[in-house]
Amino acid sequence: MSAQKHVDTILEDLVKLKDTSELMLDLAYSSLLLNSKELAEEVQKLEEFMDQLHTDFELSILSFDFKPEESKGFLGLIRLGVVTEKIADAAAEIAEVVLREIEPHPVLKMAIEEAEETVTFAQVSENSSLNGKTLREAKIPDKTGMWILVMKRGDTWIRPRPNVVIMAGDVIVASGYAEGEEDFKTLVSVERQAED
Amino acid sequence: MVELEKIEYKPISIRELLVEIKDLSELMIDLAYSAALFNSHELAEDVLDLEKHVDTLAYMLNMNLMIAARDAEDAEALLGVSTVSSSANKISDAAADIATIVLQGLGIHPIIREAFERVEEPLLRVRIDPNSILVGKTLEELDLASKIGIDVLAIRRRNEWLLNPEEDERINGEDVVITRGAPAGLEKFEKIAKGEVRKLED
Repeated sequence: MSAQKHVDTILEDLVKLKDTSELMLDLAYSSLLLNSKELAEEVQKLEEFMDQLHTDFELSILSFDFKPEESKGFLGLIRLGVVTEKIADAAAEIAEVVLREIEPHPVLKMAIEEAEETVTFAQVSENSSLNGKTLREAKIPDKTGMWILVMKRGDTWIRPRPNVVIMAGDVIVASGYAEGEEDFKTLVSVERQAED
Repeated sequence: MVELEKIEYKPISIRELLVEIKDLSELMIDLAYSAALFNSHELAEDVLDLEKHVDTLAYMLNMNLMIAARDAEDAEALLGVSTVSSSANKISDAAADIATIVLQGLGIHPIIREAFERVEEPLLRVRIDPNSILVGKTLEELDLASKIGIDVLAIRRRNEWLLNPEEDERINGEDVVITRGAPAGLEKFEKIAKGEVRKLED
């Protein structure tokens, strides 16, 4: 493997570790909010994926032909990997509350989403005005009062980062007051509106 | 010698404490990764400071939980709350671990850092100059998301942190503001915050 390719592999794994651990956290909190075993199991599955990824990442770093003066930077990377693993473990513990059927206390729901009244989802239509926009540009919370929990593209869960570009076919899971649900579904699934 | 806040029972709602622990732990992860990316000791120190604060909040939450549980049924009902709070606390510890990597001067390898910068949305920590045009304006008036494509994640005012600040929050001189968003927008915001540029839009 060329050095450049090797660096790319390490980077790719690190980004995946970071994204997966944070996604697990979003899913874990969502599983509590929805009292959804399905989402909680998704978190557990991702935990197994994390373990494998973390091992690959560490092996990749250890097999890099680095100079002695670079060792600090590589130790930093290894420790960063350990941190993502800790975050993933914490997320798995949260999901376990749901899987163990500990009755989620109302306080939990209130803490996760203060305005939580309802949770809903909608699929982005080809004609939706959101298609091709970033989440920041889409301003879904401003327009509908609904807060985005997580997104799904095909089989992949996506964290709702402001710079994520929305694509037709994406499923957006959101929560908020029941009044916003209709607006949310219209915005996401119905044709482009006159304002655009 | 590390200064720790003295833990005294205060009747704060369990919900408020849990919201704060959860929000802080999430902000801390973002701050910590940015500290690693930019090798920023200031951000790393902020993270360590927040970590101590989260510990204090977690102790207070535990005390309030103990008082709230009067029988076996209460204990069962509150178990989930204490588990989630302890998990969120672990996340804040993980963020502090990243901050420590930075402060120990380990950092992350520069080649990786360059590449990481390309995939991660950057974060900016800037102190507001008292002469900046931002001073006295509310976030709603500034409308930074529409105008320059950035979001305000937190404001540090002296020793107090405001997370996900409300739209009617006013920016004061000497506030430390943490924002995230488009690199061009952040660059502009930094100049405006420092009072070098006097307009938000061209």
